[in-house]
Amino acid sequence: MTTKPEERHEQLELCIPYVFGRLNPGNRKQFEAHLTSGCEKCIHELSGLYEATALLPLLLRQETPPSGLRQRILSRASSKKPEPQRVERPSAQRESPVTPATRPEFPWYRYAATAVGILMILALAYFVYELAGTTTRQQKQIADLEARLLQNDDVLAAFGAHQFEDVPLTGVEPGSGFSGRFFWDPSNRNGVLQIGGLPVAAEGKCYQLWMMKQNKYFAVMQFDVDSGQAVFVRMLSVPVGEKGEIEAFAVTLEPKEGSTQPSGAILLRGAR
Amino acid sequence: MQRNVLAQRQQIDREDADLLKRIQRSDQRALGSLYDRYVGVLYPFTLRVTGSNEAAEGVLHDVLLHVWEKSSSYAPQNGSVYAWLVALSRMKAVEKMRAANQKRKQESEGGAQRSASAADTKQPAAETIVALKGYAEEVRNSLKSLSKLELRLLELSYYEGQSQSDLARMLRIPLGTIKAKMRRGIQKLRLSSAEEAK
Ligand SMILES: [Zn+2]
Repeated sequence: MTTKPEERHEQLELCIPYVFGRLNPGNRKQFEAHLTSGCEKCIHELSGLYEATALLPLLLRQETPPSGLRQRILSRASSKKPEPQRVERPSAQRESPVTPATRPEFPWYRYAATAVGILMILALAYFVYELAGTTTRQQKQIADLEARLLQNDDVLAAFGAHQFEDVPLTGVEPGSGFSGRFFWDPSNRNGVLQIGGLPVAAEGKCYQLWMMKQNKYFAVMQFDVDSGQAVFVRMLSVPVGEKGEIEAFAVTLEPKEGSTQPSGAILLRGAR
Repeated sequence: MQRNVLAQRQQIDREDADLLKRIQRSDQRALGSLYDRYVGVLYPFTLRVTGSNEAAEGVLHDVLLHVWEKSSSYAPQNGSVYAWLVALSRMKAVEKMRAANQKRKQESEGGAQRSASAADTKQPAAETIVALKGYAEEVRNSLKSLSKLELRLLELSYYEGQSQSDLARMLRIPLGTIKAKMRRGIQKLRLSSAEEAK
């Protein structure tokens, strides 16, 4: 914001060549420094140009994306944890917000599911069986769930863990029919939350998993429930430190944007 | 731009912002949804810039993982999620191209025929994306005001990184005309983008 008006105007001329990648490295660096200084005029101009040029791809001819790309991306994402959300100064450098591209690592977990992991999958499948009861419709559901379970990279990833812990969650209200389990590996903080019996959340609401330490609640994650099915939610990083810190897990119904403390009644609870 | 187009675009932007919030909470389904929404545009785009299926796939892979890992680097003040995705894709594609295709570029002097101009294509990329379909149609209509030359210049410059003097040489058009046409083309694009309609 310390930029002189005349310089600002001059730099404005660089916005188009910048967006089109036509600045030489020296000019580009200089221009980016100018943007970082916070020149609102240039940032606004750039924003308009990015919006405008983003229309061009809408005119391109349709191409079939490579089969399996989606799955490869999601598999890779499940082995990579997003950076914690942080409040960031708006970055003007729209062309350079990117760290160097990394090649995908080998998806180790597909091959590294240990004997323990396989046992866990079976245990979970059995639990699903228990949960779902025995009507024909439910039996089909169980078969579907088992198939999904065994194919699910997320579950495999979590169960490829060397150690794991199983925390059963039960409905707080007697006869609610809510049930769940939280399988997790405290060593790598990966886990899978399995929930059954919860109804689809009302409009504008979602479920939220909490952990309890010293009688305080800490938000773990939000999740949705599909109609009438047990759900499995992969957790990439359970926000805990040492293993001994957590005493219990709980589930509540919260506004869609999530809460920092439970505002709804505890629906499910499970102590370690 | 008509009001309904603006409303459509605002709806798209809101939905994208919601997806990004869910991605920040490690919701992989949201990442899948973002992929489904934009693969129909971003894949042809990265393919157009890189000219290779393999490179285009790699770029898209890197872009989506960047979104997954660094979604907090998106600054709403700087524009829509869609524009961010396109800018990221372009940047990563250009990086890849620079690394891999330096010599190929010299070989194909004047070889801007990597793929047909979008101006006369019949099956636009966004056609498959339900969320964007109506909006994309409106955009295409509004971009009919671009002359063939304006669009061609924008494409060569945006997708292939041709400089204005390269374009002047290649197309045997005076540099001044190239500059004027490009400027006019960009102006028309801006008029068509929802940002400018606000
Ligand atoms: Zn400036």
